[in-house]
Amino acid sequence: MINRRGVLRSATAAIAAAAFAVSGFAGQALAQDKQPITFALLQDFTGVYTFVSNEYNQGQQDYIKMVNATGGVKGHPIELIVRDTGNEPQRGIEAYNRAVEEGAVLVDFLSTPVSRAMVPRVLEDEVVMITALHGRGDASDGQTFPYVFPMMATYWSQASVLAKYIEEHMGGLEGKKIAHVFIDSPFGREPLPILRELAERKGFEVKAFPYPSPGNEQSATWSDVRRWGPDHVTIWGAGGGQPVSIRTAIRNGISPKDILSVVWLARTDMRQVGFEAAKGVKRFAATATGRDTPVIQKIMETVIEKGNGTGDMENVGNVYYNIGVATMAASVQAAEHAIENYGAPVTGPKLKKGFEDIENFNAQGLMPPITITEKDHQGGGYGRVSMWTGDGWEPQTDWITAYQDIVWEEIEENAKQFEQGN
Amino acid sequence: MFYRLAGVYHTTYAGERKLWPVPADRWQALGVLALGLLAPLLVGDLYLSSYLLPWLVWTAAALSLTLLMGVAGQLHFGFAAVMAIGAYTAIHLTRFGVPFEIALLGAGLMAAAIGSLFGAAALRVKGLYLVMATLAMQYLVDWTIINVPAISGGAQATLQAPEVSFLGAPMTNDTVQYYGALLWAAFLTVFIMNIKRSAFGRALVAVRDKDFAAAVIGVNVFRYKLLAFFTSSFLGGVSGAVLAFCYYEAVTPEQFSFDVSIQFVAMVLVGGLGSVIGAYLGAAFVLLLPIVLTNLVAGLADSGLLTISQNLQSHIPLMAYGALIIAFLLFEPLGLAKIYDNLRNYFRVWPFQHTRN
Amino acid sequence: MTYFFELLINGALTGLMYALAALGIVLIYKSAGVPNLAHGAMIMLSAYFIYIFASLVGLSLWLAIPIAAVLMFVFGLVAERFLLRRMVGQPIIMIVMLTLGLEILLRGVAPGFLGAAPKSLDLGIGLAPMIVEGVFINRAYLYGAAVAIAMIAVSLLFFQTRLGTKLRAVSDDHVSSWSVGISVERAIGISWGLAGVSAVAAGALWGSVQGVDWTLSTLLFPAIAVVILGGLDSIWGVLVGGLLVGILGSVVPGYLDPLVGGGTRDVVTSLIILVTILVRPYGIFGREDIERV
Repeated sequence: MINRRGVLRSATAAIAAAAFAVSGFAGQALAQDKQPITFALLQDFTGVYTFVSNEYNQGQQDYIKMVNATGGVKGHPIELIVRDTGNEPQRGIEAYNRAVEEGAVLVDFLSTPVSRAMVPRVLEDEVVMITALHGRGDASDGQTFPYVFPMMATYWSQASVLAKYIEEHMGGLEGKKIAHVFIDSPFGREPLPILRELAERKGFEVKAFPYPSPGNEQSATWSDVRRWGPDHVTIWGAGGGQPVSIRTAIRNGISPKDILSVVWLARTDMRQVGFEAAKGVKRFAATATGRDTPVIQKIMETVIEKGNGTGDMENVGNVYYNIGVATMAASVQAAEHAIENYGAPVTGPKLKKGFEDIENFNAQGLMPPITITEKDHQGGGYGRVSMWTGDGWEPQTDWITAYQDIVWEEIEENAKQFEQGN
Repeated sequence: MFYRLAGVYHTTYAGERKLWPVPADRWQALGVLALGLLAPLLVGDLYLSSYLLPWLVWTAAALSLTLLMGVAGQLHFGFAAVMAIGAYTAIHLTRFGVPFEIALLGAGLMAAAIGSLFGAAALRVKGLYLVMATLAMQYLVDWTIINVPAISGGAQATLQAPEVSFLGAPMTNDTVQYYGALLWAAFLTVFIMNIKRSAFGRALVAVRDKDFAAAVIGVNVFRYKLLAFFTSSFLGGVSGAVLAFCYYEAVTPEQFSFDVSIQFVAMVLVGGLGSVIGAYLGAAFVLLLPIVLTNLVAGLADSGLLTISQNLQSHIPLMAYGALIIAFLLFEPLGLAKIYDNLRNYFRVWPFQHTRN
Repeated sequence: MTYFFELLINGALTGLMYALAALGIVLIYKSAGVPNLAHGAMIMLSAYFIYIFASLVGLSLWLAIPIAAVLMFVFGLVAERFLLRRMVGQPIIMIVMLTLGLEILLRGVAPGFLGAAPKSLDLGIGLAPMIVEGVFINRAYLYGAAVAIAMIAVSLLFFQTRLGTKLRAVSDDHVSSWSVGISVERAIGISWGLAGVSAVAAGALWGSVQGVDWTLSTLLFPAIAVVILGGLDSIWGVLVGGLLVGILGSVVPGYLDPLVGGGTRDVVTSLIILVTILVRPYGIFGREDIERV
């Protein structure tokens, strides 16, 4: 009897509290009188993206705090809705619908499955979805995906930049053997068409070596890689699989210098490999690393040193943190354009146009200069190659972009398939 | 539950055999159905499309699994794979221009055919070993879908659901999608309730309770086990197609991963094995609880009542969800359906508790 | 041929590491008849414990690991006393679901309080390749395999001791054990505690290989293949099952992956489970008292 009443009472309490939660969104609004702009960061904090979400989201929140502390976007404060989706599409849908009802004009899921599931919805609702370093690469085609903004180099562009780097700084591509070692998922396979096309044009060999998800054991794959004897290796994984790749490669006698990685490789991964042992590993970099850039300095000054930082201060300036900052910097820039050129209040369509007005924006050196147009939502596909020096990442090149013709062939072909229902 | 019971006295055999022998129960069922029908007018878009709609679809899937796990006693840890087969079949069929109504049927048949293969294991083993065998099959189906581009839809591994109409109503409209899900859930509800009192259902129950004894009284155990897998997979396949067309509007492999299978099992168990109302309650618990908790915790944090890190905030619902599953199994192994039943009995005789038997 | 031997040897070593992850499942099933699907999460929890004491508190690893072992022993006792003991007599599916609920809970608690981003755990095993007759051997797995064999040997010896004999009696028959004065509850509790200790060994080694985060709990799947193949209640089965799962999961994908163009190891693992259950459900060394249809 007592039991049952307890259940009843706690159920009522939960419902009441839920109702309260729905209404209680006072949040982080500062004393600014203009109408706030709402961004929704509905990310995966408990599933497969945990390796990046916290740091990335911390960067996003800190940047927005900095913007709000320094007057907002033309006086409009930015409100953030932050929710966990657990990488589950149905939770993503709920979080998205709720956020849209609360007036969000921009969503960021940082989860490929959820973003993919949401593409038709954001197109229909005219809400901007940023898919930096995740989601569909073909969403770079702004005509097919008007409301989706990858706004950083897609995996295709990352592969082409890495290939360009090999061509120019590692002794050319011709006659070389490049092993593509990847987690066995659509994400891991994504760069293969680009590499194959390049191989044909430039006269080198590419071979694909998948390892099973989640990648905690890859020894058989790397035995095969070593047997093939590649000159260079591209590793395409994320989270715990990445250090395992590098360690197993080194154990198979492959020099760290010949390893080139997708953007997902952070300081924690290098610690797992061993800071010294990993010296020489190269990685695609979408943003600058470290705290030297003016933007990060300003965040330090206005947010973190005042004790308002979102999470562990150690993360500030790390790879994923800076990527998070860069995504919000570009989004705030777009919101500014929207207000300036199309007037407040910011709506989805205005924000979309604001994004498309972004020209040569580099967040004061934090990121490569991106130019987004109505056609090109990728922003040019810029990035650079950084090398692990034992205690940090050192840029090896300027911001470069490469073989965008091949990348765009791929983008357009996939976009066409999307129109046909894939 | 809002009536007093003086006793049930039937005057005709037909009256006794009714699905709801007590008129008040019948009226209540109709009332709930009416509420369901009026829901698009009563609740906002958000609650219709993000709560009610998925709840109905997940309930339909849980009901399909209840038939197998609750009624026939065959454990299944790969039900999401069965639904995936249905969803992919329906999408591919409609893309070839097959009418949606027939595609649904095809989805069911394909899922039933492959799902019966899962059942082949049940002819050899049961209990824990059946759990492991179906789990292994889930991985095999997942792998096949991911690694055959012709099924999964190429590089992006996504297939959008084509625009189809069901009996003339376009399935792209939110309200139509809701009614589609409601129709299927209502049909399954009546179907499962009826199956439990048919010869087929009683044979399944006999197999569940003791297969040797069932064989002794003339039930062909092999046949009924396979039939149970066939029927349940058929319904699961159609549910998968309904999920793809009414809710996700697309299929990707992640929608039917192993974790989803576990969620279905949790729905059936937390709801109460074999109970129809339990499927509704269990689906609500497993599907909606993490969402409500996430919003609750985030709301508390946003309003400053809870100052914890983002990381801990997002993990609290996971902890609560796990802890509640444990709590239900420990304190009420018969599930939410039993709790509902207790409540109902309590109120039915209130305030004369001594009249409860 | 070198390639084959390399796949074979590294596969065998990996398999032994899987065996280490599987050992705890067998220890519990042998005495209590409970299939503990939370064992993957227990491995994760152990790795987090080691991380706390080694990195956050700053103790030496050789101190951190024993402390973690003590904590996990207590965790095992507590889980058995307050969760599983109350489920005695319930259908198997309820028990399976309870352990899954425990797994979800642990997956929320450990990363929730200690941070979800991967942590590193350095056991100090060198990265330099180890080459024997042209065959490259993974040093980390070699040490891991050695630990696995040691743990399995200790388990085998343990069952020869006085306490171990009681555990064997309990695994034979609960009621007769009671009748001769053996405390069945205590024996089952101890086997849970020992499973916790074995999880620490697995957590330390796998944590050092892949880092510490929730993905450690996915070791459950290969571990299940190992115990199904070897037999749910046989320590020898863990050894042989681990070797077979490891070798098949290395050699077959080694030749098949290039042909298929996808990672086939999970397929091999699934097929091992499936074929074992269809052909010989009780596994290679398992006791044949499984209720067959």
